[in-house]
Amino acid sequence: MQLDSILFYLFAVQILFSALMTITRRNVVYSAVWLISTLVGVAGIYLLQGAEFLAGVQIILYIGGITVLFLFVIMLVPVSEESKQRRFSSQLWIVLIVAVLLTGELGYFLWQGADSFQMGEPTPPAEIGTVTTNSEQIGQVLFSEYLLPFELASILLLVAMIGAVVMAKARPGAE
Amino acid sequence: MDPLFTWTDFFVLKPAILLSLFGCGILLTDFLLKQGRWNALTALVGEGFVAVALWQHCEDVAANGQRFALGGSMAVDGFSVFFNYIFVVSAILAIIIASRYMDDEKSNRGEFYGLMLFAQAGMTVMAQGYELVTLFIGLELMALSFYVMVGFLRNELRSNEAAMKYLILGALSSGFLAYGFSIFYGISGSTNLAAIADAVAGREISDPVLLIALVTTSVGLFFKISVVPFHMWAPDAYEGAPTPITAYVSVASKAASFAMMMRIFLVPLVSVQELWMPLFGAVALLTMTLGNIAALTQNNLKRLLAYSSISHAGYILLGLAAGNETGLKGISLYILVYIFMNFGVFALISAMRREGHAAEDIDDLNGLMHRHPGYAILMLVLLLSLAGIPPMAGFYGKYFIFLGLLEAGSYLLAIAGALYVAVSAYYYFRIVRAMFLSESLEPAVIAPGLGTKIALVASAVFTLLIGLYPEPFINMATDSILLALR
Amino acid sequence: MKEHILSIVWLTPLVGMFILLLLPKENKQLIRIVANLAAFAGFLVSLPLVFWFDNSIADYQFVERVSWIPALGVEYYLGIDGISLLLIMLTTVVGFLSILSSWTAIEERVKEYYAFFLFLQAGMLGVFMALDLFLFYVFWEIMLVPMYFIIGIWGHARRLYAAIKFFLYTLAGSVLMLLAMLALYFKHAEQFGVYTFAIEDLMRTQVPLDMQIWLFWGFFIAFAIKVPMFPLHTWLPDAHTEAPTAGSVILAGVLLKMGLYGLVRFSIPLLPEAASDATTVQIIAVLSIIAIVYGALVSLMQKNWKKLIAYSSVSHLGFCTLGIIALNPNGIAGGILQGLNHGLSTPLLFLVIGIVYEQRHALEIADYGGLANRMPIYTTIFLISILASMGMPGLNGFIGEFTILRGAFERDVTWAAFAVLGIVLGAAYLLWLFQRTMLGPMTNPKNEILRDLNLREICVMAPLVLWCFWIGLYPKQHFAVLEKPVARIVERVDPEYYSRNGIPNPLTDGVRVASLVQD
Repeated sequence: MQLDSILFYLFAVQILFSALMTITRRNVVYSAVWLISTLVGVAGIYLLQGAEFLAGVQIILYIGGITVLFLFVIMLVPVSEESKQRRFSSQLWIVLIVAVLLTGELGYFLWQGADSFQMGEPTPPAEIGTVTTNSEQIGQVLFSEYLLPFELASILLLVAMIGAVVMAKARPGAE
Repeated sequence: MDPLFTWTDFFVLKPAILLSLFGCGILLTDFLLKQGRWNALTALVGEGFVAVALWQHCEDVAANGQRFALGGSMAVDGFSVFFNYIFVVSAILAIIIASRYMDDEKSNRGEFYGLMLFAQAGMTVMAQGYELVTLFIGLELMALSFYVMVGFLRNELRSNEAAMKYLILGALSSGFLAYGFSIFYGISGSTNLAAIADAVAGREISDPVLLIALVTTSVGLFFKISVVPFHMWAPDAYEGAPTPITAYVSVASKAASFAMMMRIFLVPLVSVQELWMPLFGAVALLTMTLGNIAALTQNNLKRLLAYSSISHAGYILLGLAAGNETGLKGISLYILVYIFMNFGVFALISAMRREGHAAEDIDDLNGLMHRHPGYAILMLVLLLSLAGIPPMAGFYGKYFIFLGLLEAGSYLLAIAGALYVAVSAYYYFRIVRAMFLSESLEPAVIAPGLGTKIALVASAVFTLLIGLYPEPFINMATDSILLALR
Repeated sequence: MKEHILSIVWLTPLVGMFILLLLPKENKQLIRIVANLAAFAGFLVSLPLVFWFDNSIADYQFVERVSWIPALGVEYYLGIDGISLLLIMLTTVVGFLSILSSWTAIEERVKEYYAFFLFLQAGMLGVFMALDLFLFYVFWEIMLVPMYFIIGIWGHARRLYAAIKFFLYTLAGSVLMLLAMLALYFKHAEQFGVYTFAIEDLMRTQVPLDMQIWLFWGFFIAFAIKVPMFPLHTWLPDAHTEAPTAGSVILAGVLLKMGLYGLVRFSIPLLPEAASDATTVQIIAVLSIIAIVYGALVSLMQKNWKKLIAYSSVSHLGFCTLGIIALNPNGIAGGILQGLNHGLSTPLLFLVIGIVYEQRHALEIADYGGLANRMPIYTTIFLISILASMGMPGLNGFIGEFTILRGAFERDVTWAAFAVLGIVLGAAYLLWLFQRTMLGPMTNPKNEILRDLNLREICVMAPLVLWCFWIGLYPKQHFAVLEKPVARIVERVDPEYYSRNGIPNPLTDGVRVASLVQD
């Protein structure tokens, strides 16, 4: 139990610190690398929760796929110009104040509500009872209870793809 | 083991399935045939099929009442049928306006209509969904399609900027929404709305966890319906988007978001009404204030209508703030009439041209009464309706909202809402003034295609018809909310 | 025929408008003829009302009642009593005359002009007939739109400003009225379980006094803006000054009467306890007195002819509201009759201005002087209208003001004292205006081009002049028409009024042809 808590706090600190670094680095490449660190931390927390499938997906998809893609794009686009410009406008202070207020508010409510965080137990479909591993459970649920969102997600991906094509295709006037 | 997918499931899902099929179909035919002009027609045929499916839904609801499918994640009831019809009507209007407009902008491509139908599939899921994950994916499907459509005019910097802003703020709002949903899942252990309702009812009203979930969910949805203080994306997105999409976003996307909002707040959260009613009231008041005041000084028609649509969202939200049956009826009716009045105005704007470019300023309407008296009079009907002057359709939406507020005892909100009617009349009458009272030196050309003409005339006729004989439409709105209330 | 007469009356101008829309816009002469015929037809179909109207019936007459929106309990419910009858006749007469007076004054966008005018006419007639609050509201609002255009398109230099000011002022007032209507409607549904807007049903609603007072002010603001009462009158001088002649005529003649009509038809009978509440009465009376005196004083200062008449309207309508809020038979009957009088004499004054404006395009009083020498008929008519307006015995204004004074005196002597001051001031600014414009030598050579009235212009003014004399010399019929409806209002606010004062109650004591003015 004790080890669990220690690990959790380690990962939490890693996530927060890396996230902070991600948004404050001037060089985009650094930002991307810090983002990897953030995502690894999240994967760690998934593991702690016993969700090994999600942790795996997190690493393979987000780190292995998306972030590496980011890095490729960054390499292809000249970044030297952008990295010299002022990053935040004069609204920085307003942003900071609002952010601190929001964090404080959320923190206060979470603190106040610590006792009422008795979460309900998930009610898995009947057939899941026999399955034990996390990946199998997810598979079961995904193809029974959440079949519809799962299928819809495919259309969502199709739309995303179309969007990418539309945005990336040569401009009609500029050929 | 039960079959995963039954005929009932198919029946309930039919509109969404048809829309996705036709969406893919348009992509394919556009690629294979390379005949751009068939795309709009295919999309319209698709809408026809959906309308038939909805008619079957309607019959079914009359016979069986509310029905669920796919393990309770989708529902068919008067509410879903009503909103689905609204999506169909607005999609049809958007398509017939778009075919000419996109030709003129040299961006008439198959993907555009495909995306319209995919967006509508998302809306359908939002109106029918009875489970958080389904609702969320539906919302994302709609939003993602809209991000692309808003940025569809690749040669226009404004359009690109609008899409960018819309995308980033939209993603942020989805984050809020997902956060709220995850807490709901946490406290109930289920994503089904009915199960969440039980869990919420079992908690105390002062429960901080509930409050966090409620506030974050509201924030996420407030973004989508563009109410203050989460409205910043709307004026830019509306101005930059292709005009038919501006109309489509301002009507259909808003209607779908309101439908989802009503589902979430009237099924799982109905037991904590005292918690969100004041919140909605305050947000609605802010929205009307800012929307109306910002609209006063706009010179770009699309921006003006963006602010006007923000203030209309405030009025619609007042219906939820009233929280009683009359107020909810008002929401349905308001959205129904809003399709026609807004689409009509945007249809005319989409046809405005000056030296081959889209003209969008109020001054470009100067002297419209001289050159095109017919259009000017149709516009007058639409604008009077937007301002809420009886006997135009727009009046009845406000009528129910005000009555609902009075029934709920929110007198101050009612008075504020009523006085803002007079403020809004000022900017609508700026347009009237340009059309009727001002002389124009260099007239802008109004060159509507057949589709745009049909859309404009149909919108104005319906606006007047609903105004003079609202009975069947009021009954439709009444039926729509009967089963949405628990 | 008889059972649909009211629909026919208000639809005739509308039909005329649709016919007009079908005509080619280049053929101005044809459009003028058709528009005038339509307006005249509107007057002719309203004439039977006078003959068929039965003074001995206290209830609404010529009632038409069809369900319109059952889901809301809204009905197409028309009917008139004596008050409506007088105002409807005023509308058809003044409406026709103002259309006739525009023959040469309007040269641009003629078709639109007449179309808007006929539309306005239909809306105004509807307002005076509707017995369903919802229907009333629809007519009340829709009639703003043509008036906005009439001021905004054919008005003078600052027309855009005046038009939108008129529109927004009235709209702001009427949305508050809408809320009050809805609250009353809801209250009634709570008590009776039936949703209805019919006023006699709403009258049965038991409303607690504090709520009544809120609702009363909700209605009152809408009507006070229309009347217009001090301090909500500021739109009126702008609208009057900027509107084209016929617009001013219809505005002064009919539109302002809608405010008075609203007070006596809706505010007072629907919310009698609030209306007879001592504070309410005091506030309204004080506002009326301020309007009387302030309007008169401002009129004295005016350099612009039209603006002077506009402020005199504020003053004269102060008399009307003062009479109405006295809440006794003399006061209310006098208030309504004075409203009618104002609807006859002020249009005359505006028509008079219109005739010289059309030729000279100047509105400053200083631009004129000594017109009497060149234009004798014109000067005579101007003199009659001024005398009518200031309350010269033998003309209509005297009867109205005298009756109001009796009502006010009965209620509170100080009211009457202030009202008399208003009359004196009224005589001062009107006679001074007459002296500055008509008498003396003609100093400005530009006025040499002025000609006297032609036949059409005489035809426009003669009916109004005759009506002024009719009321002034023999007002009996008018009071007879008003007697029962006024008694019904008094019954609502003060059921014991008649028994307490030992006056026979016209509602229960049989027909008593009134002669309120002892001559």
